[in-house]
Order: sequence, then structure tokens, then C-alpha cells
Amino acid sequence: MSAADMLVVDGVSKVFAGEAGFVGKLLGRSGVGTRAVDEVSLTIRRGEMFGLVGESGCGKSTLARMIAGLTPPTQGQIALTGVSGHKPRLQMIFQDPFSSLNGRWTVGRIVAEPIRVHGLREGKAVEARVHELLEHVGLSAADAYKYPQEFSGGQRQRISIARALAGEPDFLVLDEPTSALDVSVQAQILKLLDTLQSELHLTSLFITHNLSIVRLMTDRLAVMYLGRIVEEGPTEQLFRSPRHPYTRLLMDAAPDLDTEDRSLHPIPGDLPKPGTPMPGCRFANRCPRAADLCKAQEPAMTAGEGGERFRCHFPLD
Amino acid sequence: MSAALLEVRDLRVELKRGKQQLTALDGISFAIAPGEVLGVVGESGAGKSLTGAAIIDLLVPPLKRTGGEIVLSGRHLDALSREDMRKVRGRRIGFIAQDPMTSLNPVLTIGQQLVDTIVTHLPVSKEEARQRAVRWIARVGLSDPARRLDQYPHQLSGGMRQRVVIALALCAEPELVIADEPTTALDVSVQAHVLQVLRDLHEETGVAVMLITHDLGVIAKMADRVAVLYAGRVAEIGPTSEVLRTPRHPYTSGLMRATVAPGLDRKALDPIPGSMPNLSSIPPGCAFNPRCARATAECRSQRPPLVDYRDGAGKHACFHPLEDGR
Repeated sequence: MSAADMLVVDGVSKVFAGEAGFVGKLLGRSGVGTRAVDEVSLTIRRGEMFGLVGESGCGKSTLARMIAGLTPPTQGQIALTGVSGHKPRLQMIFQDPFSSLNGRWTVGRIVAEPIRVHGLREGKAVEARVHELLEHVGLSAADAYKYPQEFSGGQRQRISIARALAGEPDFLVLDEPTSALDVSVQAQILKLLDTLQSELHLTSLFITHNLSIVRLMTDRLAVMYLGRIVEEGPTEQLFRSPRHPYTRLLMDAAPDLDTEDRSLHPIPGDLPKPGTPMPGCRFANRCPRAADLCKAQEPAMTAGEGGERFRCHFPLD
Repeated sequence: MSAALLEVRDLRVELKRGKQQLTALDGISFAIAPGEVLGVVGESGAGKSLTGAAIIDLLVPPLKRTGGEIVLSGRHLDALSREDMRKVRGRRIGFIAQDPMTSLNPVLTIGQQLVDTIVTHLPVSKEEARQRAVRWIARVGLSDPARRLDQYPHQLSGGMRQRVVIALALCAEPELVIADEPTTALDVSVQAHVLQVLRDLHEETGVAVMLITHDLGVIAKMADRVAVLYAGRVAEIGPTSEVLRTPRHPYTSGLMRATVAPGLDRKALDPIPGSMPNLSSIPPGCAFNPRCARATAECRSQRPPLVDYRDGAGKHACFHPLEDGR
């Protein structure tokens, strides 16, 4: 682990419903559960925004919850290093700005909470800091005395961001922070996050199903499919020349604004049911390049020349 | 436009909140030609779903249609009784909702629901309806259609359910289908599938489609023409390629520059300041004026009418339309 590494996720798995039942235990059976996250390893460096992308059910939110300490991994280690000696602080911003703010607290109290919990300011300084944070995210000091219900979705997400920054986090987890927002408001929040990231030298993990957003926002990214990271690398590199067929297909599937070429590019097949045993590559049953080898043997993580890593027997050039 | 399949003129929908009378749709007008795909795009609160619901008389109180005409193939839907309207829904106009589970009955099999819909609306026997149901399941791209008929909605994935909803919406051979955010709840890879099915069936059957979405990418791929709604009014309407390449209304152009589309450069992302107004605080004049860089005193006091451009190829409601789309 080098000094530049802030978060190291090492061989982390999460198995749900993995416990054998009472009778099963008596009979000495071990449980067979769903491996939502399966031996994931990744490193996030200080000062970067790292993207984690995948479709619903791929395990990206479970991984985020383990990183945030909201649920323990079944296997593996997660190490977060703080700056300047103190215990590392982590904050999270959630997708739904309506359920993630306490409606019975004023905005001021919501934003002050992490300051108090971490003992970052005292007395009058807390209020001053709250006002400063609200202005920083594009709200006004007077908003501290209102309740979340008085704000629109976009403004509520600004409150969530102010609350997260109030904890002076070493590491920020953004779980689909703009997916519930309208187009014009989404752009405002993305701009704000981009500005804060560079002004405050944050290190963050940005989770989304939207590849276009990942490309816009992140320095490096990992693509997840059925609990596994199938490709990882510098964002521009991955978009210019993806190595894993799934990354390529995912990139092509989202419709662009070109009205001349109206072709659609669905990914063939359906996501297998969770728990389906797959001895080989998990994407093999949908992959246009799959051969017998892919169905029999899972490809190992391979390093490419541009700093990318991928799991594929027949990578794209 | 006498050849229109559907004509909506000056549609108004209002609701009463306390003592306030609020306007949700404020004079929406557009037409859909037979076999055409009209995209209806806008952000939450623009009134796009309400427009769809108002056409098929499925507004939920306190929302109420208070004015305007809705004409389908020369027949006034706005004057129909509840009973007659029920016969139009399903038979003449199909409906696809965002969440497939709002359209599917969880305790009936796929087959029962398709057969019921077919025999309700078409003069065919149960046996014939069952055969048609199998064909519809195949047409929407589900494998093993005969076996699928005996399955329940919960046994299918989200994408498959939405394909069944498409089959349900089309099985009575309507002239128009209203699809309200049909792919919004789906993953990217599944979304493209469902759009492809919708496109194929549109081409095969010639059904006209009113496609409601917030996603300009979906509009770019699917719609022949597009109506851009803002605060319950039409801001701009015209051929999709024309509107997306050279938008006339500043809101359309703003929406495009705020859209995170594939291949967009980080610096090109340009949010529209502010947000869509609440129904209780729609500004006088042009509803977009507080967020518009081109707004003048005229825009703040008078509402711009919907006027033709390029000899009626499209219309916009703006006093200071953009010339080159920027």
C-alpha cells in the first residue's frame, strides 16, 4: 500500500442469506447464499474521484455500504487511511433526497449534526460554519432555519452535500446522487460536485448506473457485473478503448442525441437469476465473443498496457 | 390538419388546493398523424404525464379537465360518457405505464390478462384470443410463448413484464398507444431492448405512438416529431431532427446542454439556473422567463403564443427565439 492510496478494498465478498437454517446447522450443512459482491479488490488514491458503474443487482450499492461501514463484509478487508493522524472520516450522499433528510429537524440542525458528532467546532462557531457550508453549496444562511420539506429535490440534495461536507470527510461516498433529479437540476448538482471535488481536494467514490455521468465526473472507474469487477482503469482510457465486451456493450446501449443514426443497441439476453451457478465468465451467456473456454473457466484479472485491468479471455483491442 | 389521428386543442387541466385554483395544463395543443411517433419531453412538473392521462380520461381528482378539445379520428373524446370512454381505452387507445406492475394484475396469468383484453375489445372467440395471445407474446420477443401464458407477472423480470405490457396495450389493435416513460424504470441494457420491441411493433402495425419521456436520447432515437413541455405549456414542437439540431426555444436548447449524453465533454455541461416553478408560483408572461438569459420586459408581462416557423414545420412559444440553436 503506497502513501497515495486512501482506500484499499482487498478480496471483499458479501454473501446474503448465507446462513444455513437451524436444521441445516444441526446436520452440519453450510449455507449457500447469493454472493452479491464476490472477491472485489480495488484501490482509490488520494484526491481522485473513482467511479463504480453497473446495472441494478450488480452489487455496486452493497460494495458502497460495506465501504461506508453500514454492513460488514463476509470476507476480505477494507482499509481507509485518514489524513494527518486522526481517525479517517467518511460521509455518504444518498440517491433519494426526500428520505435521507429528517423532516422534523431544521436544515441548520441537520447540517450541524456531523460537526457536533465529530467535535469539529464548538458553541457559536457551529452556527457560523453551518451558514458557510450552506452558502458553499449554493443555498443561503437563512435556509438554516427552514425544514427540508420547504425545498425542491435539487435543493435537498444540496443540503445533503452540505451535511456531508460538515463532517470534513477524508472520503466521500456518492451513491447515485443525481439519479432522482431532473435533467437541468442534475447538471447543477454535477457541476457543484465537480467544483467541490477540486476545491476541497476530496477523495470520493461515485456510484451510478449512468456511464455518461461517470465519464464526465471520474478519474478512474470500475465496471461491475454480477458481483465481480470485470474491468477497471483510467476513465478516458476505458472509454476510448474498452477491453471487456460488457463495458463496450454498456457504452453503446445508452441512446445519444444523434438523430441521424437512430439505431438502438440492446445487450443480448437477460441478466441470469441470482444464485445461478456459473463456473466460467459470468457474462458468457450474453457475450457475442464467448467461446467454450469462457463457459468453462472464469478469466483471471489481467493487466493491460494503459493501466487497465480486465477479466476476459478474448478482450477487445 | 384534418388528416390528424389525434388532435388536442387548448387542453386545460386544473385543480383546487384549499381556496386556490391551480392550473396544471395551460392550453396544450398538438396533433398526432396516423402512424406517427410523437415524443413528449419535459422535466417533472412540465405536465407530460398529465397530458397523457387527460387524453384517456384517467385524471385523478382533484385534477380536472376544465377546457379544450380532444379529437380522435374526427370523434370528440372530451364529450364522451364514462362508459363510452371505457370502450375507447384499450380498443382505440392503448396505454403503457412506467411501472409495469401498475398495468398487470398480479393474481392473473399473463395469458388470462391478454385473452381478457382481446375478447373484451375484439369480436373473437376465446380459442382465437388464446392463439392471438401466444402470437403477441412471441412478437414482443419472449421465448417459449405458449408456456409464458401460464406464468404470473412476478415470475418475469422487469424488462419482460414491460414487454408483456406492450403486448397488452397493442393486442386490441388500437390506432394510438400512449407510452408514459415506458423505459425509465429499466436498466440501460434492458431499456434498449424494450425500445426496439416498441419500434418493431410500431413499424409492423402502423400504430401511432405518443411517447412521454424525460430522456432526450430516447426522443432522438424514437420520435418523428417532438413536443417540449414547460410548466403545463408547449414551449416548442416540431420534427425531432429539426428541434434537436436547431432548437428555437431557449428552454429546449438549455435542456439539451444540461443533458449528460454519451460523449459529452465535461466543460460542455451547462446547467439551466433555477428549477421548474411550482403550480402555485408560475410567473406571469412566459413561464420560463426567470431562468432565461434572453428574457425581456415583454417576456415578463405577456405570454408568448405558439407560432409557426419554417412554414409550419414547427412551432415555438418564444418572443426571442434562437436562430442557430445556441
